[in-house]
Order: sequence, then C-alpha cells, then structure tokens
Amino acid sequence: MVDAFAYVPAIVLLPFFSFLVALGAGKYLPKGGAFGGIAATAGSFLLSIWVALTVLGGREYNETLYTWAGGEQFELTFGLLIDPLSALMLVIVTLIALLVHVFSLGYMNDEGETGLPRYYAGLGLFTASMLGFVAADNLLMAFMFFELVGLCSYLLIGFHFRQEGPPSAAKKAFLVTRFGDYFFLIGVVAVFATFGTAQFAGDGSFPVLAEQALNGEFDAWTPLGLDVGTWFTLVGLLVLGGVVGKSAQFPLHTWLPDAMEGPTPVSALIHAATMVAAGVYLVARMFGFYALTPTTLAIIAFIGGFTALFAATMGVVKEELKQVLAYSTISQYGYMMLALGAGSYVAATFHLMTHAFFKALLFLGAGSVIIAMHHNENMWDMGGLKDKMPVTYATFLAGSLALAGIFPFSGFWSKDEILYEAFIHGLNEPLLLGGWIMGLLAVPVTAFYTFRMVFLTFHGDPRSDLARDPEPVRWNVKGPLSVLGVLAVVAGFVNMVPVQKLLGVEGIDFLTQWLDNEFGGIEGVQYSAYNDLLATYAGYEAGTIAGSEGITLIVAAGLGLGLAVLGLLVAWKLYNVPEPTEHTEKLGGAKDVLYNNYYQDEYQVWLAHRTEDVAGGANVFDQGVIDGVVNGISSVSLAGGERVRRIQTGLVTHYAAMLTLGLVALIVVLGVTGGWF
Amino acid sequence: MVPVEWYLILASAVFCIGLFGVLTRRDALYFLMSVELMMNAANINLVAFALYYGDLTGQVFALFVIALAAAEVAIGIGIILVLYRNFGETDVTVPTEMRW
Repeated sequence: MVDAFAYVPAIVLLPFFSFLVALGAGKYLPKGGAFGGIAATAGSFLLSIWVALTVLGGREYNETLYTWAGGEQFELTFGLLIDPLSALMLVIVTLIALLVHVFSLGYMNDEGETGLPRYYAGLGLFTASMLGFVAADNLLMAFMFFELVGLCSYLLIGFHFRQEGPPSAAKKAFLVTRFGDYFFLIGVVAVFATFGTAQFAGDGSFPVLAEQALNGEFDAWTPLGLDVGTWFTLVGLLVLGGVVGKSAQFPLHTWLPDAMEGPTPVSALIHAATMVAAGVYLVARMFGFYALTPTTLAIIAFIGGFTALFAATMGVVKEELKQVLAYSTISQYGYMMLALGAGSYVAATFHLMTHAFFKALLFLGAGSVIIAMHHNENMWDMGGLKDKMPVTYATFLAGSLALAGIFPFSGFWSKDEILYEAFIHGLNEPLLLGGWIMGLLAVPVTAFYTFRMVFLTFHGDPRSDLARDPEPVRWNVKGPLSVLGVLAVVAGFVNMVPVQKLLGVEGIDFLTQWLDNEFGGIEGVQYSAYNDLLATYAGYEAGTIAGSEGITLIVAAGLGLGLAVLGLLVAWKLYNVPEPTEHTEKLGGAKDVLYNNYYQDEYQVWLAHRTEDVAGGANVFDQGVIDGVVNGISSVSLAGGERVRRIQTGLVTHYAAMLTLGLVALIVVLGVTGGWF
Repeated sequence: MVPVEWYLILASAVFCIGLFGVLTRRDALYFLMSVELMMNAANINLVAFALYYGDLTGQVFALFVIALAAAEVAIGIGIILVLYRNFGETDVTVPTEMRW
C-alpha cells in the first residue's frame, strides 16, 4: 500500500510546476499554458481527496521535512501537518483552483486576452503557495507562504497593467495587507522568542507550551517582566494583525473592493474563496493558542461582528456586480471571525467551506454575466438576463440563496451555527453578545443586497442593448458553475447540528465529528479539546433561554431565518419590478456616506499624510545609516583594490624582483623563527 | 673527495648569476639563458646531495629537470618568436598591455 502522505509535497509542487511551465514555455503551449494548470490542479485535487480519505481512515501526519537553519535555541524548518482541518482545506482549495482554471478558459482565452502565460503562471504560483500555507506545520513556514500568497494577489490584481486602475489597486492590496503582515512578522518572532518553537501541533508545540506556561509548568520568556497571560494576549493580537489584513477585516478591509480590478476568475479564487480565507484559517490553525486568551477572542468576535455589519451596509448601494460581491465577501469573513471569537471552531470552518463554494460560484456567475455583457459590470445596464442565460441564472440563484442564508441552502446551516454559537456564549459575555447583535443585524442586510443584485441583474426588463442581446457562454463557463451550484445547495448537509439537536437524529453532524477527530487526527488539535481549553481558560459557558437548549436553538435559528427572509422580501418589493429604480434617495445623507464607503479610504489617506514625517525619517535612516554602512564597506574594498592592483605593472622584471623579495622575506622569517641568527 | 660544501657554493654562485640576469637584463633571450643557469644550479645541488647521501634519487631528479628545461626552452623560444613578430624586438619592457 502506497502511503498517501508521501504525496503531500506533490500536492503543493504540482501547481508550482505548472507555474514554471506556464512562465517558461507558456507562449509555445496551446491556450497559453492553461492545460498545464488544469492538469496540475486536477492532480492536486485527486491527491488531496486521497489524503483526506486517509485521514478519514484514522491517520494523521505531522513531520518536519527539512531544517533550513538550525541553532542552539531553535530550528527553522519546513514541514507538513495533515490533520482533519488541513485535509479539508486542501480539498477545498484544490477544487476551487481547478474550477477556476477551467473557467479561465472561457473568461480569458475565449475573450482573446493577451499575456495568458503570465496569468496562468500567476494562478499556478498562487495555488502552490496557498496549498503550502495550508499544509504548513509551523508558524514561520505559514508566514512565508502567507507572503507568497500576497505577492501572487498583487501580480494577478495588476494583470491588466496597462490600464490605470489595476496597478494602483494591486499596490493598494499589497501595501494594506503588508501593513497587517508587519504585525504578524513581529508575532512570529515573539512566538519563537517565547516558546523556542513555532510548531502548530504535537508535543512541544507552542499552543501546548502556552497552556503549560499558564499552569506554571513551562517557563516562557516574556519581555519587560510581563505576566504570561498578558503577553500571550499581545502575541495573539500581533498575529491577528496579519489575519485582519489578509481576511479584509475592519480597518484593513479597504483593499478588497479595489482588488476587483483583477480578472474575475482571480477574484473568485483569491479574493473570495482562498486567499482571504488564509487569515481565518490561520486563527483556526492555532486555535489552541487563541483559546487561552479570552481578551483576544473577544476582540476577534467583536471585530468580526462589526465587519459583518459594516461591510454589508456598504454593499447595499453599490452599482457594480463585483463590488456588491466584494463587500459581501468582507462581511462573510466577518462572520467567520465572529465564530472563531465565539469559540466555535467548527462553525467557522463550516462557514469557510460553504462560503468558499457559494462565493466562488457567485464570482464565477458574475464572470459569466460579465462575459455576456461585454465587460460592462454596472447592474443598472443589466436586467432580464434570466431567460437568456438559464444555467448562469439557476446557479447564481442557488449561490445567492446560500449567501442570504435561506433554508436549506448551505449558507443557512453555517451562518445559523455561527449565530447560535455567538448567541449562547454571548448570554454570558457582553462583548460576544455585541458581536452577535451586529451579526444578526447584518443578516437582513445581506439578504437584501444579495437579492437586489439578483433582481437587478436577472429580473425585470433589459435596460441596455447589451442586456437584450448577451453574448453566449460555453461549457467551460457552465461546467464550473454547475459543480459549484450543486455544492452550494448540498454542502450544508454535512453538518446539520440543529436538526440533530432538535430531532435527535444521530450522525448527521459529519463535519463536527470530522473536526473532533472522531475518525483520526492529532491529539489536542480538535474541537472538544478546544472547548475544554475555552471553558478552563476563557471561562466560556453556553447559556440558554428559558433553560432549554431546544427553545434557544429554535429562537436563534428562527430569528436568523426570519430576518433573512425579511431582507429578501424587501428586495423583492423594491427591485423585482420590470423597471426598478434606485430608491437610494430615501436614505438621505446616509446615501453619500455609504457610496463613499464611510470615507474609509479618505480617512486612511489623511492618516498617511499625518505620518509622512515619520516615514520620511525612516527613509533618511534607511538611506543614510543602513545603506551608508553597506555602501561604505563596498567603497573601502573598491578603493583598496584600486591601490593594490597597481603592483601589476606588466614588467616581467618587476614580477621577478617581487618573487625574489618574497623568497628573501620567507628565508628571513624562517631564519628568525628557526633561530639561525 | 671534494666536500659537499664546495658544490653548494658553486650552485649558489651559478644561481645568483642567473638571478642577476633575470633582474637586470631587458632582452628576453637573456632571460631564457638566466633561467637555464638557475635550473642548472638546482641540478648541481641535486647531484651533489645524491653523491653525498649515496642515493640515486637525486640523479634521477636531475635527469627530469634536464628534460623539463628542454621543454621550457621550446616554449620560451616560442614566446620570444611571438614577441618578436608582434613588437619587432625582444625587449620585455615594451609589451606591458596586460598590466592592471
């Protein structure tokens, strides 16, 4: 029996080879190297399924493969950690990457884009880095791949570099996420300094050591004589900086809407389904550590809930299809953060999975509409597309129902679980309750903007010539849409916890069992272990209404579903008419605020101008001191060489004289040390 | 029998004459001859010690050095010919293009 885990490196390396092939030979290959990418991601997908099945068979893998720097105090390594969480994530990422590659045939190749080898090389490198990040077994390796993912995002957002918008959006995305990553890097160093290791799982991993340190069994280093609990909270917040940047949480969310300048398949792959998930995945990966710091958890939950509501309100007034989806992405990641902060590791992972499916679906559906509309993204120019593009409409509708959280589509199950968990823990913890209330308020807003988008795009009368005669799309667009459409409908059924609790049907909470190591996994890296940690160190305790879990469940789910339906109905009333109007003037002054995204960009630019002096000082220091030292050393060598080379006169006689002098000097030295004189 | 020191004095004298030639002359042909003298000084040493220790190895080495000197003269003459062809004379102070 061949061991599946021996092939885990291949999962990461296959897309990397497709990157090399597309980069080096893409222009000689048919379709600009697309088939290499498709073959590589398909191979990775199959291997990931095999690995997931092996994990299902009760095995796990946690090995250091290569030590690239070792020292007295700690070693820097590359390794792989395959447990239920990473195996699930590998399958999701490879599946979406495969579908996006296929979709790109329709969106990029059929549309006659140029520079395709660069595009497919970017996709390949992105997939490889994301998979490397997912499979990483230590924080430093995760950080390195995290940065690579950010780089690929930069390259792909700026794909149309000859236009004005994309390069600027790419720079913005890179800089804003870098700002978060800066804290993450300090966090990584802090973890190394505190624990001497950055392993995620197993004996001697940093979450385990952190728990021992809190119990006084391990002597962790802390700066300035800080109490270990306080210091762990700070470390958690530092790492959270990277998470907030990458997962586009307030206040570092501003890059994501601009990132929609990239090609639509890139938006689907990177800015909805996978890269943005990296932040949430990172918190889930080191949840054993976060579970020890209640303050960090409360902050995560609050930021998440706030972002969910904040972004949802901005999505309400957007006119462009992809902009609505961009804000809904920010909002949905807010939900995942809320779930993590509420201590519900499973709900976050569940929503990560269902969101990956339905948001990739919505973006690809938007891509299909954009092809049909000849790259006009304004929803006010659309309308009535449902009869012209039935496959796109049906799948887009499935994705929208999932996004809005309508029973029984996948998004309902995961969002309901998040809100339920936030609610029951919030009953004992005011900050969590605040997060829950904001999350709950975001539900009708989400349903409203989602269906506003659906109605404006597909219903009513066509509002432009483009919409009256859309360009047809081919199998390579419809195929991925159909796969994701089915998943968006059924993916929720893997974890029907509410049904299990209410009706007592056993065994329909597969995902919970999966993440709780019912099938296999690494001891301590599991749902129930995290729950114990949360109860012990964070004091998390589930509350109920009227003392009954059943009533609480029905109230929470009923509230969520009722509000979602309410939002949907309002959208139906306002926009599902033949000639819809904007209705935004009723918002009054709020309209401008929403249109301008709460002036977040202006505020950040203002902030940047206020800190110009600091930046200028840092620049002077860098140019003057750091560069000065480096340049000084090189100019000393240069000047020295200039002098010394003069002894090469070109005259044979001089060389002979030097030889003789050298010989004489040698004899004198030998004579002196040998005692001849 | 002549003491070995005499041979050594002779060898150093011949060597110094060769060295003097290399350091003072400007003509490449003199260089060649001077180098030849220095090598033969070494040969005298080798043969002298071979006699002194009653060991034939030194003489064998001397034979090798003679063969090497022959090869060296062949190459040296070749270089001098090229020098003459390019510069019209065999003065070693003229071709200094390879400096620095």
